Amino acid sequence: MADWGLPVAVALPFVAGLAAVATGRAAGRWTGIAMLAAAVASFAIVAAVGLGGTEPPVFARAWIPSLAIELRFRADGFGTFFALLVSGIGALVAVYAIAYLDELPAARLGRFFGALSAFMGAMLGIALADDLFLLFVFWEVTSLTSFLLIGFWYEEEKARKGALTALQVTSLGGLLMMVGFLILGAAAGTYRISALAGARDALAAAPLLPAAVLLVLAGAFTKSAQVPFHFWLPGAMVAPTPVSTYLHAATMVKAGVFLLGRLSPALEVSTLWSPLLIGFGLATFVLGALQSFVANDLKAILARTTLSTLGLVTLVYGLGAAAQDALQLLSHAAYKGSLFLVAGIVEHATGTRDLRRLGGLRRRLPITFAIAVVGAASMAGVPPFFGFLAKEAFYAAVLESPALGVLPGLSFLVIAAAIVANACLFAIALAFVRGIFLGAERHSDEPAHGAHAESHHGEAAALWMPPALLALLALAFGLLGAGGVTEAVTRRFSSAPDPSFHVSLLPTHLGPLVATLLTFALGAWLARDRDRWIARVAARPVRSAQSVFDAALASITAGATWYADRWQSGSLRWYFSAVLGFFVAIVILALERFDLSIRDVDSTFTNVTFYGAALAALLAVASVNVVRAPTRLAAAVSLTAVGFLVSLVYVVYRSPDILLTQILIETVSTIFVLLVLFFLPSFRADGLSPAATAWNGGVSLLAGGVMFILLALASSPSFRSTEKIAAEYLARALPEAGGRNAVNVIIVDFRALDTTGEITVLVVVALCVFGLLRSRRRPA
Amino acid sequence: MTLGSPILRTVARFAVPFTVIASLRVFFQGHNLPGGGFIAGVLAAAAGATYLLAFGVQGAARVPWWRLAVLGLAISLSSGLVPWIAGTGLMNHVVWHAHLPLLGETHFPTATFFDLGVYLIVLGTLMTIFVELGLEER
Repeated sequence: MADWGLPVAVALPFVAGLAAVATGRAAGRWTGIAMLAAAVASFAIVAAVGLGGTEPPVFARAWIPSLAIELRFRADGFGTFFALLVSGIGALVAVYAIAYLDELPAARLGRFFGALSAFMGAMLGIALADDLFLLFVFWEVTSLTSFLLIGFWYEEEKARKGALTALQVTSLGGLLMMVGFLILGAAAGTYRISALAGARDALAAAPLLPAAVLLVLAGAFTKSAQVPFHFWLPGAMVAPTPVSTYLHAATMVKAGVFLLGRLSPALEVSTLWSPLLIGFGLATFVLGALQSFVANDLKAILARTTLSTLGLVTLVYGLGAAAQDALQLLSHAAYKGSLFLVAGIVEHATGTRDLRRLGGLRRRLPITFAIAVVGAASMAGVPPFFGFLAKEAFYAAVLESPALGVLPGLSFLVIAAAIVANACLFAIALAFVRGIFLGAERHSDEPAHGAHAESHHGEAAALWMPPALLALLALAFGLLGAGGVTEAVTRRFSSAPDPSFHVSLLPTHLGPLVATLLTFALGAWLARDRDRWIARVAARPVRSAQSVFDAALASITAGATWYADRWQSGSLRWYFSAVLGFFVAIVILALERFDLSIRDVDSTFTNVTFYGAALAALLAVASVNVVRAPTRLAAAVSLTAVGFLVSLVYVVYRSPDILLTQILIETVSTIFVLLVLFFLPSFRADGLSPAATAWNGGVSLLAGGVMFILLALASSPSFRSTEKIAAEYLARALPEAGGRNAVNVIIVDFRALDTTGEITVLVVVALCVFGLLRSRRRPA
Repeated sequence: MTLGSPILRTVARFAVPFTVIASLRVFFQGHNLPGGGFIAGVLAAAAGATYLLAFGVQGAARVPWWRLAVLGLAISLSSGLVPWIAGTGLMNHVVWHAHLPLLGETHFPTATFFDLGVYLIVLGTLMTIFVELGLEER
């Protein structure tokens, strides 16, 4: 059942992106054409593969079989829908961006379309992935590419900050989500997304399910900018307008709610799922709407209405009305995409995005005006536009939700809050059109971005065609609502297709209609006095979530600094004490755990020979001599004596391999000590305080004592298991690795992975020594 | 760094080549007798250190030792990765058997490549440290 179309559709944008980055300097705007071509091709492939037949097509390959992680794509209705949305709007945004960014130098254009195209590929991957970890990989790629895109005007500090905040918030959520995926996969016995719903019973019985739900929600909520993580989205509006349109209205922020839709069938078995989604969704829905109502920057307005809609979709999932998710997502993508692109046209034509400095542009930008009217009307929820159908369906879901029936009055509270929020959206839609296009003509002619002067395009066809298409969609799906087409389409593409789901242009139920009329009335009233509301809000400054986040980050940095200063004090005595103390503690813990003590040592010491005892005595003398030596040279020589005496011990106990090593290591380290001796300060010049001497002695004796007991135990009968391991290695060395020297066979074959780690450390040491000493000698 | 004493230089003239040969011998016998890449690498580094002390650091500094260490890491890693790509498992070394003219039945464990990497890394790292310390101004 291999269906190559799906991986090809995901890979094409990545190929186009790489090509754009590689050839940007020469290809210039052709990189945008490449992205457009990839978007159109992916759209066609997904449509051809995903829309035919009743069984969702699947492409599966083993990826990490030992962990049951698959490279598996699957195009069910919801995934196909999301993939079509991503590639379709991707194509429109590419057309728009080619015209919008035409003054950029070619190399930067290549980087822009490279990142944007790779982002599109990652979003397609999220849409079509059928494995939690495959989805996670694409999820992280979207975080990374969106970082590059938000920070595209990297000369500006605001852009760098916005990009960094977005990356920090979304990757924090992504990591938490990955842990959630691990728990989920362990509980369900599969990482296959389409199989999770079938494992509901196993999930419901899993004790860690609440933790998994919280962690997965952390990922979805950060990505979809739900309260309290909402602050990164307005900050990300420093991105070029095509990016804001594509990432922060139409696709990436929807990845979070898309994930909710993907996992809802499985995770709704948790009692936490629905209340959390309702709570956070409602909070985001209301907060976003209120904030958008009092904003003046066009993109800030649109960003906050986007927040609001994302909250609404989360709320819809919480209400158990997943059947209408495709309706809500499509309706939002159509009008919000068109409005963002309108904002871009206005900014280019006038040099400002400030609602207070704009007005009367209907004559200068007549087509844009028409598009804005359609988009705003759909956002306001006015019939016969698409937004009206979405709003009606939403009110119906609130009124009929079984989830809200648990508490008397809850349903009323939610619907009241929803009416207020929708009224704010209605009012700001009105203010958006009126403020830009009606009244006396006003506009600033200074460029909005000094560093990267965006030209004054007016209404180029490439600029108005994409939003016009989206606006047309908003109108068409509204009108088609009368004939049942909208209902059929959005039902087909829902994450939980429900035959009883109903949406129509002609209201059939009284409740939603009354709520809609109330919304319009309240919205019209709010719009009359918008300036007064803005003044009122400005008079009461609230601590923003961004400042809380910044303070948290600053405290983490301060904590890390304190911690580093505390441990990295520069005192060798302290470093040694810490290392030896840790060693002592871990050995004591391990022995305690296996209930071993000095009593388990074989006290007959049958393997002690005369030469062994004599060497031990010599060793003791030499060791004391190291400590008591009056000069460094004397100490070094005594230390070498200790080393060679130890090698004699290996002679007595017939261990030639280690003997050879010991002698060579001793030789080389003596040379090393002699080389560095010259650079060291005079020996014990300052003299040690009695307390320091006592501390050194105590730590040394403790570490030595513990090591002695450990070794004595290791050669005792209670440690039989080590002998078994040794015998096993000896037996397997020749037949399996073709060598008689078991020590070497262990190093290079049986435990080669460990050795790889060690030799890597060695190479890093060599590079560090080289870099440090060379850079000191040759200051830049 | 100044040159070593005439006695040291005279001894080193014989000792260095013999130590290098000994290190190769220790390297190749490693799979069956005491020896192996690590010890052989240390032995070679001891030869290098002797050379450095006897004839001055400038000559030894002409060799890019740290590159040798990186090359060794590349050899070790690829000897582990090749069987993985071939599908027989990461770091899964095998023994090649061949009937060669004059040598007769010959066994060659592919782990030798890994060991060669270890040898070069140990030699390169130790010599980097010696040379860089020797180059320090007194």
